[in-house]
Amino acid sequence: MSARNVLLQIAQVLTVLIVAPLIQGIIVQFEERVQRAQGPGIFQPYRDLWKLFHKQLVVPQTASWLFWLAPIVAFTCMLTVPILIPVLTNFPLPESDMGDILGGGLILTLGSFMIVLAGLDTSSAYGGIGSSRAVMVSILAEPTLILVFVGITLLAKSMLPFVVNHLLVSSWAVYWSPAHLFLVAAFFILLLVETDRMPIHSSTHIEVYMIEEGRILEYSGPLLALLKWASAMKQFILYTIFCNVLLLPWWLSIQGTAIGAFGAALALIAKFIFVACFVVFVETAQSRLRFYRYQEPLAASFVFAVLAIIGTQLG
Amino acid sequence: MAIQSLSPLASSLFGLLAIASLLLSFVMLGSRWLKNYLYAFAAESWVIAALSAAVGYYSGYSELYLIAALTLLFRGLLLPYLIWRIIQRLAVDREIHVILQPSSSLVVGALFVMFALSVSYRVAAVFHLELTVAVLALTVMLSMKLIGFLMLAVRHEAISQVLGLLVLENGIFLGSQILVPGMPLLIELVILFDLLIVVACFGVLVGYLVTHVGTTSSLELKRLVG
Amino acid sequence: MSLDALILGLALAPLAAVAGCLIVRRPRGVEAINLAASVVSFGCALPLPFLVDDRASLFWNDYIILDRASAWVVLCSAIVYLLASIYAVGYMRLLDEDRRLFRFYALFAGFGMTTLVAPLMNNIGLYWIAIELTTLVSTFLVAFERVAESMEAAWKYIMVVSAGISLALLGTVLFYWGGTFVLGPTYMMSWAALAAAAPKLNPVLTVLAFLLVLVGYGTKVGLAPMHSWLPDAHSESPAPVSAMLSGALLNTAMIGIVRFLGIARAADLGNLPALALVVFGAASLLIGALFIVRQEGIKRLMAYSSIEHMGVVALGFGFGGPLGVAGAFYHMLNHSLNKSLMFFGAGNVMRAYGTKEIAQIAGVGRRFPTSAALWLAGAVAITGAPPFGLFLSEFTIMRAGLRPSFAWAVVVMAILLIVIFVGFLNHFRSMYYGPADGHAAPAAKLTAWCTAPMWLALAPLLILGVWWPAGIWTYLTSIAHTLTPGMP
Repeated sequence: MSARNVLLQIAQVLTVLIVAPLIQGIIVQFEERVQRAQGPGIFQPYRDLWKLFHKQLVVPQTASWLFWLAPIVAFTCMLTVPILIPVLTNFPLPESDMGDILGGGLILTLGSFMIVLAGLDTSSAYGGIGSSRAVMVSILAEPTLILVFVGITLLAKSMLPFVVNHLLVSSWAVYWSPAHLFLVAAFFILLLVETDRMPIHSSTHIEVYMIEEGRILEYSGPLLALLKWASAMKQFILYTIFCNVLLLPWWLSIQGTAIGAFGAALALIAKFIFVACFVVFVETAQSRLRFYRYQEPLAASFVFAVLAIIGTQLG
Repeated sequence: MAIQSLSPLASSLFGLLAIASLLLSFVMLGSRWLKNYLYAFAAESWVIAALSAAVGYYSGYSELYLIAALTLLFRGLLLPYLIWRIIQRLAVDREIHVILQPSSSLVVGALFVMFALSVSYRVAAVFHLELTVAVLALTVMLSMKLIGFLMLAVRHEAISQVLGLLVLENGIFLGSQILVPGMPLLIELVILFDLLIVVACFGVLVGYLVTHVGTTSSLELKRLVG
Repeated sequence: MSLDALILGLALAPLAAVAGCLIVRRPRGVEAINLAASVVSFGCALPLPFLVDDRASLFWNDYIILDRASAWVVLCSAIVYLLASIYAVGYMRLLDEDRRLFRFYALFAGFGMTTLVAPLMNNIGLYWIAIELTTLVSTFLVAFERVAESMEAAWKYIMVVSAGISLALLGTVLFYWGGTFVLGPTYMMSWAALAAAAPKLNPVLTVLAFLLVLVGYGTKVGLAPMHSWLPDAHSESPAPVSAMLSGALLNTAMIGIVRFLGIARAADLGNLPALALVVFGAASLLIGALFIVRQEGIKRLMAYSSIEHMGVVALGFGFGGPLGVAGAFYHMLNHSLNKSLMFFGAGNVMRAYGTKEIAQIAGVGRRFPTSAALWLAGAVAITGAPPFGLFLSEFTIMRAGLRPSFAWAVVVMAILLIVIFVGFLNHFRSMYYGPADGHAAPAAKLTAWCTAPMWLALAPLLILGVWWPAGIWTYLTSIAHTLTPGMP
């Protein structure tokens, strides 16, 4: 429990906190540019958060204590998960064995769950639709996510993300093995689904089509800022797990020096831009699926996860 | 080439190609459009031809290069071209009445793969080959068989059924390349040509179906009962 | 006359007929070419069982095997080919398809060749290819009449059978793989090599491979529950083709199962292979009985009877021992003769009355005295009544089954045979002695070409029923000894 490690741990959480809106901005800007529009600039989410923190808070009459609690819980959960995963360093920091991969997934789901409850809390129609749809998507996606975690565990014979990271860095054969490639594919599809991208997401802002945004329609002011920040951080965390644990496990700080940590943060942004390119490509190349066809990409993800698990059994 | 003495690079190469072809058969299961189905089949045949060549390289049976070239030519190019011509002549693009949704077929296919894995593990265990590519070869062979039968069962378009039959044959070919590369050349050649004749016959029969029954969908073939 | 000259004659005569039919397109010419080829084939096939001795003879780089089992099956196929060719001359004239007749005879001769050659294959891979070729050629024969029902039957036939025999291919590959652990990575895939290696083959793999082969070739034989193509294909094809399909093709697929059964017995897998065969046989009998009782079409009735008889043959081979195997082979010959007779009669009646439905046919005995009498005799024979050959073979099979492990199968067989007897002859009663009110009067006139083969089929059936020559008995029991080494 050296002071440097504690500082690194705090730096990880701060990185997630500060850089998350930047990633959101980059993705949105890329999309707009690909579609030959001007785009709002990559720092727009920061400006949005600043604006929202200075706006008045309006609370519906039908809201209860859950209305206040949900954004705080979600925000806190998103601050907790970076402690468990490799963000800047590839060695475990203090308190990172508080939870393993499954525990991290649990805390992420807790945040989403609270927001789903908040969507139902105000008894508005669109909140109810948004919440029920979000729950349906997660019913389809969560078993596959668990299977992906099982696959990762079987691949590395351990449930700690750091062990997986070391294994993939040290062995080319494991990196290019079919199990790992299928896990990457399965997790990519789940990434698209969990961060509400195509083919789930609707690009028109009509309330009837909304899934994730429908839950937070009743919020305003600082609470809305917290919720938006929390969803940006969830995206960041999922991308971090994808990159640092599965896809690009290199360029993490090994010694833990300040320069190393700073370099790891920059490398993290670079990795995100790499993944964001693919995500933007999928977003612009596909159109939204009908609601009854949401099972198809998730079934494909399920197949990938099963094939990955089988791949881990074959030596 | 004894399976126990394969180098790790060879093992993983065979494994990669086998899983790629299994993946392509899942693509076939999950697609509704006949053209996508056909392209996935062609890609799968190319992968199997590459596997044949790889097995020929590592095992020293140089006649497998000939088999690989012929597989690429016949299964990979000629057969898809013949079927493509049949599709062009027909008025159908996709399965209109779906008996089992593609996503459900994918899940059922994944369950088949799990079943095939358990059977192959048992079979390979008696030869003490548990940790080698033999288990993967048997698994892929059996699961492609089961997936082929699933396609025959849940697809009602004539072309889809023909492609399901060809997937069955592809699975056996793939398994035989890894497990028994020393199978006599004559047998492999004749089976290859036999497939060509089979597809030619199918082409003629599909033509008859269109002319006399009016449709290629087997949901309409209900005249003979009892 | 040397054996390989006979085999060459056997195979080349139909092949030359195919070429001849494609060159000479006149209807009467192609009839004569096919008939001549069938006579030559029969002439080459008839001496084979007498000339072959106890050990198998191998020809052409060991790709052709001629032992007693294959000689017997080839003889059955040759007899059916000859009878069907004679009948086809008369039947196809009634169909009025003179322009396309050369194609029919070319395909017919090709089909004859494939059924004659398939039992002679020594290599398990080549055997599979021969079976596949029989399927392909016969599909077009089934689809010969260009009506929707024939197309449906042909499609179901080729789909179900191709899928089934792909399972057999998987089983073949697994057998070969099992053999590589004993015989090395490359070896000749002959029946004898596998049988010699059988005791050292791994039981788990051998059981899996044998069951796959059983289900695969069982689809081709028509064992239930893989029989769904058989009623359609056998009923929608022209009558001579139906006779060939039932009489010749099912036997050639059965010989493959029998040889694999021999390998499985040599591998000492316990009771499982025989039990599997017995279960399939009993299921076929059950399906046959159920569908015969409530049948409405003439040719479908005959097709279900084929399923039932193949079930009996499977039971015979499953019971094993000299009695079972001898009875089963004898049953193959009798069934070929009898089924040809039945399909010829059904074809005559169909052409005469213009319909396939039993309810529409009445007063057969009054209109066509001779052929109707022959047909009725055939019906009595096919349900297993004495004094015809099928009674003897079924009785022998039942005797073979009276062992504690398979006694249940004998009881099932006896009950179902009685059910089939009643049901089958009930249909004939309604056709012969039922009221002939308002039904269509028969139109066509049957020529001698249509009735002569029925005589030719019935006569040996009657002879074989009252007299089982001792020579044939020793012949068949020697097959039993080669196929089941170590059994008394």
